[in-house]
Amino acid sequence: MNEELILQHGLTLDEFQVIRKYLNRDLSIEELGIFSAMWNEHCCYKTSKKWLKKLPTDNEIVIQGPGENAGVIDLKDNDGIAFKIESHNHPSYIEPFNGSATGVGGILRDIFTMGARPIATLDSIRFGLIETEKTKYLLNGVVHGIGHYGNCIGIPNIGGECEFESTYDFNNLVNAMAVGHVQKDKIFYSKPKSIGGLIVYIGSKTGKDGIHGASMASDVFSEEDEDEKRPSVQVGDPFMEKLLMEGCLELMSSGLIESMQDMGAAGITSSSVEMASKGNVGVHINLDKVPLRQPLSAYEILLSESQERMLAVIDKKNNHKVREILQKWQIDYEVIGEITDTKRVVFESNNKKVVDLPVEIIVDDAPEYDREFYIPRKRKNKDFDFSKIKLEDMIINLLTNLNYLDKSWVFDQYDSTVMGDTIREPGQSSGIVKIHGTQKVIGACTDCNPLYIRINPYEGMKYTVAESYRNLIACNINPLAITNNLNFASPLDPNIMGELVLSIHGLKTAAVKFNTPIVSGNVSLYNQTNEIPIKPTPVIGMVGSNMDLNKINTNKFCEIGNKILILGKQLAKNCSPYLLQDQKIAFNIFEFNDLEVLDLDFEKKIANCVLELSDLKCIMSCNDISRGGIFSALLKMQYKDMGFRVKVPDPIDLFCEYSAGYVIEIRSKDFEEVTSFLTKKGAEYLEIGEIIKEGIEINSKKFDYFDIMNKYRNDFEKIIS
Amino acid sequence: MSFKSAVITFPGSNCDRDALCYLKDLTKGEVHNIWHEETSLPKVDLVILPGGFSFGDYLRSGAMASKSKIIDEVVKHANDNRYLLGICNGFQILTEIGLLEGALIRNKKLKFLGKNCFIKKKFKNNFNSSIKDNQILQIPIAHNEGNFYCDIETLNLLKNNEQIAFEYCKGEFSNTEENMNGSIEAIAGITNKKKNVLGMMPHPERAYSDFHQSQDGRLIIESLIS
Repeated sequence: MNEELILQHGLTLDEFQVIRKYLNRDLSIEELGIFSAMWNEHCCYKTSKKWLKKLPTDNEIVIQGPGENAGVIDLKDNDGIAFKIESHNHPSYIEPFNGSATGVGGILRDIFTMGARPIATLDSIRFGLIETEKTKYLLNGVVHGIGHYGNCIGIPNIGGECEFESTYDFNNLVNAMAVGHVQKDKIFYSKPKSIGGLIVYIGSKTGKDGIHGASMASDVFSEEDEDEKRPSVQVGDPFMEKLLMEGCLELMSSGLIESMQDMGAAGITSSSVEMASKGNVGVHINLDKVPLRQPLSAYEILLSESQERMLAVIDKKNNHKVREILQKWQIDYEVIGEITDTKRVVFESNNKKVVDLPVEIIVDDAPEYDREFYIPRKRKNKDFDFSKIKLEDMIINLLTNLNYLDKSWVFDQYDSTVMGDTIREPGQSSGIVKIHGTQKVIGACTDCNPLYIRINPYEGMKYTVAESYRNLIACNINPLAITNNLNFASPLDPNIMGELVLSIHGLKTAAVKFNTPIVSGNVSLYNQTNEIPIKPTPVIGMVGSNMDLNKINTNKFCEIGNKILILGKQLAKNCSPYLLQDQKIAFNIFEFNDLEVLDLDFEKKIANCVLELSDLKCIMSCNDISRGGIFSALLKMQYKDMGFRVKVPDPIDLFCEYSAGYVIEIRSKDFEEVTSFLTKKGAEYLEIGEIIKEGIEINSKKFDYFDIMNKYRNDFEKIIS
Repeated sequence: MSFKSAVITFPGSNCDRDALCYLKDLTKGEVHNIWHEETSLPKVDLVILPGGFSFGDYLRSGAMASKSKIIDEVVKHANDNRYLLGICNGFQILTEIGLLEGALIRNKKLKFLGKNCFIKKKFKNNFNSSIKDNQILQIPIAHNEGNFYCDIETLNLLKNNEQIAFEYCKGEFSNTEENMNGSIEAIAGITNKKKNVLGMMPHPERAYSDFHQSQDGRLIIESLIS
């Protein structure tokens, strides 16, 4: 086999030699395609595996950790929650609408493959600077794509994040998360149960779209690649997915399916190989039986990533019933093979075995690398000059920065109330939905602080996990578990690799402390274009619950006259990275001081105070303090034209970041009870002011409420149009 | 006499479950779910055509669903002077069937709109009789094609016959926008001439339960039952 062909398939010559030696024969082109699909980063985690193994993945509520289509946690009674986040970064840059739409479609399939009905989606999207040509096009396309798919299939989008930063200029990020509800005794796994079971194909016909999508996702880009790669982007059809979802859920609840696997990245190849590997069995598939949209070669069928397709194993005796149900939903269905005891993956086409490989070499012998990494040097601390900075300018700096403005333009394009169980919509600290027919609620959020992580990957990651944690706590949601999406540039650069290793380490430390195991996840590497690496962006999706929907907090102001208290500890001005960056005090990444060590015990202590006070119904509203400090938190809490009057020693304090930071609104009559509770718990608090009608007042300086709020609410759309 | 109702499910309907819950919780009566390929409809007081993307919105929103087998029965039900309510995609289907006038075209900003909107009743009918004049209702909208359009003669007919049931209005506070989708005369819902068929873009079935942001959607079922 010639070298060029091997390299084109994304394999190194060394990797090829391992395969060649094991098989002791030449490979067919189809077999080479299989290794190309299965041995890339996207499918086999060859760079990250060593480090991911260190993450905590289990505790008393974990039903299914990483390794299945989605993780599942226990929500008492017979309720389980399945959830996962996944990236669709490269496709969304090449073709933003379809790239992001199919990202949503893919993650939803991961959820209903487990037998769970999706009940919410979230996302985390990052773009370059708005001034950069293309950013507006990418933003419009991505938001349209996410909305189109989720709206049509009818799953509420309940939250997420959307940020703009220069390193994403030619490498935007699109991470989509989905949450589903499953009955614990009806969870489906990808492991087939019996030898002789029929392998059946369910869903859309196979076409040319997405061939080599998974290996493209593991590639470094240059701008010229864009047009050439566009045919590798899958095209989504949410209507088809809706039918597929209803059909599959009906099959599963009727007990007609043994196991199921979504044909996602690397299509039929990956799903069948995983099935064989999980069950420690073999598969024999006749590619001639695969429903096709257009004539395709065996090689193309194996690698197509056409959307809205499932592979399932059924008992022979159920064949007729399965066909009947799927006919009702107008879904293509075909028996294409069977489960064998050979522990080999065999594909035949035109009466010829085009692939005949032991499962072992594809899965167990997949490469695993221990790549070189550097630990960032310790930063020298220095003081910045804040003397020239004025309160008015600080406010203007926030209100002219897309990252601080109200993102309704984004969220309003998503249906967030379909299914009728939504309690908190996007734009609040976490999205909340009710488990249908119960009093239980699920809260979820996505977060990442790339700037923190670039400054100090280990501590920065702790802050990221803590931010998600606070987002849930603020709503009186108990944090339960995590899904992660590690977006990094090329791990071949030891500096980047160092960020990957250390941030996983930080994730581990925080997850252990918060008892929030990582139950599913995804890794996206090589996020760099024209040799500009993205900032390290390990996104966290955190899920939590409250068993009583009447106990959750709102993030919005409730009543004029109520007092505003601050909990937590302010980071020093010199060590508040977003303050320094966004108030234009530090420009270069090398200028920043190191992060303060985040005290996770302190985070827990304050969080417990918030939870207890919420249960006592002493908290009228609560929001966490993150980027933009108290001021930004207060802006987000505006509701029904209620503003605030506050007094602080130094106005800059209002813009500093926090550890364990919360703004809470309490009634005057509860002041005594709340403050003595906090004092008893050893939790310091700061009373900064009160809620007033249609006003914003800081240290006796009055601002035009409607001017500020109009900018906050409407300027996002103005800037991006 | 208990109030009986039914919800039709088309492939791609995604608010059918919500509509079923809405009816079950508020009417306390029998509620049927009818698949679009059925050829008979039980005798009920109210039929809802729910929201969603029936047939993926292919061809035109509501166009394919309007040709479904069950539609003949739905038309008979309406001709029998019983209540028929189309919500969102259901409204689009009703205009495609021809039971309601006008059409729903793309929102004026050509973007999907999923947010709270505010409406009030325009002319009284059996669907809105429990709503006070000038009472502002907060109900979510979620649509791409909710921009109601008709020619001027039709508009005059709708007015003269008092067929406009709801119109969008401003909410109580500063951050509320009127007529976001650009509908002609801010029309949010219309009835047929006999006023037993209502089509509306806002989703009352998402605003009735205690945990919803608003409970104003109850008023429609309360009007019908009273």
